[in-house]
Amino acid sequence: MSLLEVRHLCAGYGKKRILEDISFSLDPGELVGVLGENGSGKTTLLKSVCGIQPHEGACLLGGENRESLSTRQIARKISYIPQRSGISIDLSALEVVLMGFNPQLRLLEYPGAAMKRWAGQALEAVGLGGRGEENFQSLSQGQQQLCILARTLVSQAEVLLLDEPESALDFGGRYRMLGQLQNFLGQGRGALVTLHDPQLALNRCHRLLLLSGGKLMGEIFPGRDSVQDMEAALEKLYGGLSLLRVNGQYVLIPNAK
Amino acid sequence: MASATVRTDRRNALLAGLLLALLAIAGLFVGKFPITLEGLLGGDDLQRRVFLTLRLARVAVGVVGGFALGVAGFVFQTVFRNPLAAPDVIGVSSGASAGAAAGILFFGSAGAVTGCAFSGALAAVAAVLALGALDPGGRKHTIVLSGIAIHALAQTALMCLKLTADPERELASIEYWMMGSLSNISAHRLGGNLTLCLLCLGVLFALHRQIILLSAEEGEARMLGVSVGRLRLLVLMTATLAVSAVVSLTGLVSFVGLLSPHGARLLNKDNRPGTMLLAGLLGGSLLCGADILARTLGSSELPVSIFTSLVGAPVLVYLAVGRRSRV
Repeated sequence: MSLLEVRHLCAGYGKKRILEDISFSLDPGELVGVLGENGSGKTTLLKSVCGIQPHEGACLLGGENRESLSTRQIARKISYIPQRSGISIDLSALEVVLMGFNPQLRLLEYPGAAMKRWAGQALEAVGLGGRGEENFQSLSQGQQQLCILARTLVSQAEVLLLDEPESALDFGGRYRMLGQLQNFLGQGRGALVTLHDPQLALNRCHRLLLLSGGKLMGEIFPGRDSVQDMEAALEKLYGGLSLLRVNGQYVLIPNAK
Repeated sequence: MASATVRTDRRNALLAGLLLALLAIAGLFVGKFPITLEGLLGGDDLQRRVFLTLRLARVAVGVVGGFALGVAGFVFQTVFRNPLAAPDVIGVSSGASAGAAAGILFFGSAGAVTGCAFSGALAAVAAVLALGALDPGGRKHTIVLSGIAIHALAQTALMCLKLTADPERELASIEYWMMGSLSNISAHRLGGNLTLCLLCLGVLFALHRQIILLSAEEGEARMLGVSVGRLRLLVLMTATLAVSAVVSLTGLVSFVGLLSPHGARLLNKDNRPGTMLLAGLLGGSLLCGADILARTLGSSELPVSIFTSLVGAPVLVYLAVGRRSRV
């Protein structure tokens, strides 16, 4: 059974439609990238799947309709990383990671020693080992994204929704982050990730959803589809480009014009 | 072993606790009517009566009331993610003022004024939260806008009440109430208010982790499993209940709820439970200290808000210019 199934999703702001009739599914162990130009509806798609954006259509989580679940039940099934965290008060990096345990805690319960240890390990896994006591606000944008990734790692959610989690990371950091995510998915989880870099997406994701003008234009299965087919599909989104495969890695070159 | 930040929080809380204890002890013996330890222990009946019914009650309200105002300020600033947020944002003070004015005009007794002020504050808060609940998205700014609307309505009601008041007696009483004072506190009419205040404080400390989660952006908090609308309602209602219980006894007290959380964050540089405790201890110290000045500096009792504002205004400018405190 799919972890997430989205059926005929439509969403917008006021009268303006942003997403039109989107349907797809996410299976365990799958890392699915969402590619599209600015304004194509990538963030709206993730927010609609979470339920924090009004929409039409259905989202099934492990076969259950999301609408029938409570906020806490949804948080146990979905972990969402926004483009930028809205945390604006002074909290340590460790305290931010510990927030990820909230869906498992009762209203008045505090994280115990095991959870704190686990949170420390998650910080270490994303490259912020030993920085748990540092103020989250004093971290760079990229480090804040890693910290929020650590918060996602400690959650027990099966579906991870990440909105451009790599946007503030350097070249190596982007590949490392998606690599860590892949390792994490080995535990029966699936991730839907919006990305701006199609080359990174081709080399790290199992499947790519191509979004344009709020509509799903097609899917790409890197490694399975032919280079020519993938090139043709990507050209619909980004215009003229050449796709090569060098030493098993995809290289994308925009045409001069 | 506790981390360095936890140790700092503990040390600051201990020092602030000592300051509050010293001010509270000083507050028991300072005032127009002289009270001495010898007199109390030596069986001076009048001294003992003044001590038990007036002075002790006054200091209790200074300590618990100031503590509650500081904690409520911490809660409001955190939940609204706004360094200038205070219980006034959702109309507590204006509702209490209109209620107190009605109490002074129509009943006159101190107990009735307290009851009316408390009812006015609660009515204003209930109206704000009910209006906020009409927004299906349960957004924060709907609550703030509702607060502004109810504040304006309460101010209008207050103006109407003032127009009908006798300028020599009732109008002066209304104005004096709005400047805040602990001079009318006596033991027989504070039990309920203080009990309610302490209960609310207990709930707020128990909910500290949830209050911090509410400081995240709304969608992010929901995805962390927080029922944002319901929890925010519970937290704001509890904090405003505590403030209502205080201001209905003391009248309006300026700046304590605004300043104490800033002071606590400046000292601790975090938002842990220890910082919420420190905000309360600083609030209690500020109100007790201001009350001591209010009853000793003039030939008659002065409004306590004069002194809380005297400290508050420069500190607020310092915070606005220096920006050393982030909420």
